[in-house]
Amino acid sequence: MQAHLFIPCLVEDCHPEAAEAVVEVLEHLNVEVHHPAGQTCCGQLAYKTGDLKNARVLAARYLDVFAAPGPVVCPSGSCVKMVRTYPELFAPGTDEHARALDLAARTFEFCEFVAGLPGADQLGAHLKTRACYHGSCQLQGQTDDGAEAPRKLLRGVRGLTLVEADRADRCCGFGGIFSLQFTAVSNALVEDKCREILALEPEILVSAEPSCLMNISGHLARLGKPLPALHVAQVLAAGLKKETPPWK
Amino acid sequence: MEVNTRNFRPLSACACRDANLRAVLDHATRHFQNIRKLSMDVFSGREDHFARARAARFTALSRLPDLLEQLEENATAAGTVVHWAADAAEARAIITDIAKAANARVIVKGKSMITEEIGLNPALEAAGAEVWETDLGEFIVQLAGEPPSHIIAPALHKSRQDVVKLFAEKLNLHGESIPELTMLARQALREKFLAADMGITGANMAVAATGSVVLVENEGNIRMSTTCPRVHVALMSLEKVVADMDAVADILRVLPRSTTGQKMSSYVSVLTGPRRQGETDGAQEMHLVILDNGRSKILADPLLRQALACIRCGACLNVCPVYQTIGGHAYGWIYPGPIGTLLSSLLLPHAETRDLPFGCTLCGACKRTCPLSIDHPKLMMALRERVAAKRQNRMGAAHSLLARHPRAYRMAVGAARAVDPQLDLLPRLPGLPGLSEFVDSRHPPELKKPFTARRAKAKAKKERS
Repeated sequence: MQAHLFIPCLVEDCHPEAAEAVVEVLEHLNVEVHHPAGQTCCGQLAYKTGDLKNARVLAARYLDVFAAPGPVVCPSGSCVKMVRTYPELFAPGTDEHARALDLAARTFEFCEFVAGLPGADQLGAHLKTRACYHGSCQLQGQTDDGAEAPRKLLRGVRGLTLVEADRADRCCGFGGIFSLQFTAVSNALVEDKCREILALEPEILVSAEPSCLMNISGHLARLGKPLPALHVAQVLAAGLKKETPPWK
Repeated sequence: MEVNTRNFRPLSACACRDANLRAVLDHATRHFQNIRKLSMDVFSGREDHFARARAARFTALSRLPDLLEQLEENATAAGTVVHWAADAAEARAIITDIAKAANARVIVKGKSMITEEIGLNPALEAAGAEVWETDLGEFIVQLAGEPPSHIIAPALHKSRQDVVKLFAEKLNLHGESIPELTMLARQALREKFLAADMGITGANMAVAATGSVVLVENEGNIRMSTTCPRVHVALMSLEKVVADMDAVADILRVLPRSTTGQKMSSYVSVLTGPRRQGETDGAQEMHLVILDNGRSKILADPLLRQALACIRCGACLNVCPVYQTIGGHAYGWIYPGPIGTLLSSLLLPHAETRDLPFGCTLCGACKRTCPLSIDHPKLMMALRERVAAKRQNRMGAAHSLLARHPRAYRMAVGAARAVDPQLDLLPRLPGLPGLSEFVDSRHPPELKKPFTARRAKAKAKKERS
């Protein structure tokens, strides 16, 4: 099987280890991975500020970047959600609309994609750690399987103790532009989140959403209580290797 | 109340620094979520019932003009006087005129957001009437001189201690426990019900087929307000009409469960006209005021009209992380939380509400909770689009321009990494005033060697070996 990698801007430049782990896990499951050139931003930033014009331009670019047939896999629920919103940006009946529908239908969040692959339930990952999982809002409400896939994969890692905070699926307060315009509210929410996570005394923080990881780990660092903040793919990839994971 | 939505951002910042408020909100919203969940978990055929309630509301919206005509006809036939009000000022004038004509000196009210929307109490008081809110929560906020902070729990932001103090100060009544305080309010209000000349309520629904007004409550104060005084005035916004009693039943199966986790509220009043000959109770005069106040304009918008399907269960407020953190008052008008953001943005002038749709993380908890599947985030996006069309966003435009040109984009990120890999200079970036506060409480991410370069290197290494 082949798959195209859709690497969010945040992952490309700030969390490249997550993308490398995505490749490792997919290749372990015999997926041949391509990384189409020209990836910048899927348009989510413009879209969420209400700038539909630029969102449409960037969406049209991504229709070209991912024009080759086959599944597109992305380690971010919110970027996948953006691609699944593409059809709304183009008028029905247009060529772009048809291509947007096609791309939306074959774009998958990493965990969702992996959980559906043959052999995913016998991945053989082994990692002794106490992991706190943060469910990102953007993974919920797309598909039921999508929200459960990261948990399913983490539960399959032998030796891993999965813990979830009181309100595991509650928003961490990031919300992109929200965190800059309503910073005090955003701070209050990430404070709540960190308090609930720290109460569980985890060794690592895991999520399927890079922006949540950045937000939560950034605040944990400011609190002087940093935790390794890992994408689910990194946990799986580390569990597939013999050597001690880089964060230990 | 005065519209203060322009100050949503500073008000929200202020609210989340209030530790007492945060604790009260946390307790109350968790309580509402818990009781709702307990009820929903054992609600068999829940999704079917939601679908029926949704159908009842959306069908009504699609035939609103017909249903309103039918409502007028049947309510009139039952002896109710029907009035039409285009806006808040007209509705206030109609109701104060009814009060004057009835020589109403003491007026009791059932909890109603729509009377808050039109600012009815001050108008009645200016006309010389004594106006008493009779819902316990609404009574508390009236005593405090505050607007409600939640559409179904007006005094949600008040702790028990706050109420103890308030009753002592304003009523010289002294109680400690919640049952004691409730009993004190009950005694105070009982006198008002008996003395009242006129009762004013909102309407949860109005039934086109029968001309009835349906009112849902738990305290019995609405039952008293509609049956003790000589005159009853019900004020409804025009979208509250439904086709028939089947539609009422479909909505009632969902509304109390979604609001307070009850299978049914303690009282459901179905009022069809005034007291008839031979009857011993009920108002002698019944008025129904049907208010537009901007709604027919919303109805014309194929996407935004779904906000009018709302049955005001309040569940979206309780699950909203922003509402949980700032409460209702910070929103600057009477409708808070996700549905409030939508309603305020649609009902108030655009210039007043520009910030509202941005005070949302788009987490979607509201949509997932709404029994009618109102797509709040999608509507929020439509409102953002409306705002963005009138507002310049230079940083956003610059980012989009770069993102269209991958080479320039890579060069820009590369240059930033070379100069400032730890993003220490981030707060100094012009055009993004929130950044310094953002970075104060979050260590910014580090710009690392990008994935593409790492992958190229790894590939080259593989090929060499």
